[in-house]
Amino acid sequence: MIVKNGESSLDHKTVNRRLIKENVSYRTFLSRNSENRGKILIFICASLIMAATMSITLFLTLQGIRSFTVDGLNPIKFLTGIHWNPESHQHASYGALPFIFGSFTVTILAALIAAPIGIGSALFMTEIAKTWGQKMLQPVIEILVGIPSVVYGLIGLSVIVPFIRSQFGGLGFGMLAAAIVVGIMILPTVASLAADAIKSVPDEWRQASYALGATKWQTIYKVVIPAALPSLLTAVVLGMARAFGEALAVQMVIGNAKVLPHSLIEPAATLTTMITLSMGHTTDGSVLNDALWSLGLILLIMTYIFIILIRFLSKRGRLS
Amino acid sequence: MLTQLKENIVYPEPKKQNIIIEVNELNVYYKNNHAVKNVSLPIRERSITALIGPSGCGKSTFLRTINRMNDLIPGAKCQGEIMYDGINLLDKKIDVVALRKEIGMVFQKPNPFPKSIYENIAMPLKFAGIRGKKRLNDIVEESLYQAALLDEVKDRLSQSALSLSGGQQQRLCIARALALKPKVLLLDEPTSALDPVSSAKIEDLLLSLKKQVSLAVVTHNMQQAARIADQTAFFYEGEVVEYNDTSIMFTKPVYKKTEDYINGRFG
Ligand SMILES: Nc1ncnc2c1ncn2[C@@H]1O[C@H](COP(=O)(O)OP(=O)(O)OP(=O)(O)O)[C@@H](O)[C@H]1O
Ligand SMILES: [Mg+2]
Repeated sequence: MIVKNGESSLDHKTVNRRLIKENVSYRTFLSRNSENRGKILIFICASLIMAATMSITLFLTLQGIRSFTVDGLNPIKFLTGIHWNPESHQHASYGALPFIFGSFTVTILAALIAAPIGIGSALFMTEIAKTWGQKMLQPVIEILVGIPSVVYGLIGLSVIVPFIRSQFGGLGFGMLAAAIVVGIMILPTVASLAADAIKSVPDEWRQASYALGATKWQTIYKVVIPAALPSLLTAVVLGMARAFGEALAVQMVIGNAKVLPHSLIEPAATLTTMITLSMGHTTDGSVLNDALWSLGLILLIMTYIFIILIRFLSKRGRLS
Repeated sequence: MLTQLKENIVYPEPKKQNIIIEVNELNVYYKNNHAVKNVSLPIRERSITALIGPSGCGKSTFLRTINRMNDLIPGAKCQGEIMYDGINLLDKKIDVVALRKEIGMVFQKPNPFPKSIYENIAMPLKFAGIRGKKRLNDIVEESLYQAALLDEVKDRLSQSALSLSGGQQQRLCIARALALKPKVLLLDEPTSALDPVSSAKIEDLLLSLKKQVSLAVVTHNMQQAARIADQTAFFYEGEVVEYNDTSIMFTKPVYKKTEDYINGRFG
């Protein structure tokens, strides 16, 4: 008998059911050794996550575009305007550029701080001092990951802000303080992801390198780092995504001035700090409330961009 | 070259003109595991020495000790003498980085770097601080030619080395090891991961390389040892049971153990 792809010649009256796939029904779901039961449970969990993600996206999008569709704000002016002055009755203005600028600057500076130190310590514990480096640094990193952000904020407030004040003058609050605090905060994330990336570089390449007369340092920076580079970049981007979304610690040290700062040591604000600081004082449906939702939408879009970037990097990392 | 020469290294008379490496009473331990026991063995210049023996008898360990790759294994300890160019390679003062440039190594599993074919061969040159586009190009081409790979890859030097077949990758690894013009090449089961045609190509290649380098080859393939090796050493449980010219070893082995192993009665 010829059976075409996807068709079955076995009808339901077949006597020998042993080798025949069971149909999905409530009965298979209740039966203890059913394969389908597990599958259905897992499917439900997966759908819940998808539904949650999609509804958050949808909700934020709908709320976020209200300021343009309902309140009539100009989206270009919203993104490029540098004056945020919602309280003024005649000339209320909603320019989000200072906060977008603040978010990006803090994120990039934090990455500049966390990337070299994080990758450096990852290299130290995987390549240089394998045994005791691992033993010492691993728990330290785990503790650092577990510290709540408010603690980082407090340390920033009591150590970093006064330090900047004494070194550079001014108040000490600003993007520099925020970048340092957030940089330290994402450091453990970057370090542990980078360590995983370096560990996954096959030992054969190190062997090949040493056998060709490479020194340890040459092996690290000519073989190990290039081989791990896509994953290392992923580690940094993931850290940046965290930095971009951090509100509490940043809010404690950035000074929260709704203006475009002229330097790194002047008070500024970010998208997240604006939302956390202002949201409580607004009423649902007011223009300011809608504008804050729009800031949230920008954050969400940035998150998506970070994720696409990570996907792209890790795909490129897979070797042909 | 190899050492920051120090007075307390002894320089013995060269024992025999055509011995390039002379191993004397070598013992290697991994923690408590005595992997190589009292092995004395010469590796002759411009010839192929085959190392045969059942799995776990210490062939790879022996090979790795010669260019000090064993240094990378925590807990590995060596005692004895490996005389090369008048110095003991096991001496603390040996610069292993320089040593490995003179005594190269090829592994069982082809391990090209995830870079282009060209970059793979340029890599050891860069390690050695050799610069200049023209010079690099020349050496890359020469190495590929020596490894009988040039014709197959000359139009795709910038492609990833991982796009090559297993046999080509292994020849690339040999080419890479040849780039620094080593005096000795150590090969640990270089064909065991390859198909018969690729293996035959590598065997031909090794025979042709004999003119320039001295080779030590670990193999589990008796026919291969018989085909390519000038001398053969039979390892058994960390010791060298028998060492002789391959032709003698394979026709009139002295020990019963050797005969049994060669004829496939155990292994
Ligand atoms: N990296 C290592 N750490 C600890 N012990 C090792 C290591 N490599 C090898 N040994 C031990 O040393 C002994 C010799 O191993 P070796 O790899 O040299 O054998 P071999 O002759 O090359 O075997 P095969 O033919 O299977 O490759 C074995 O008992 C093995 O368990
Ligand atoms: Mg081996």
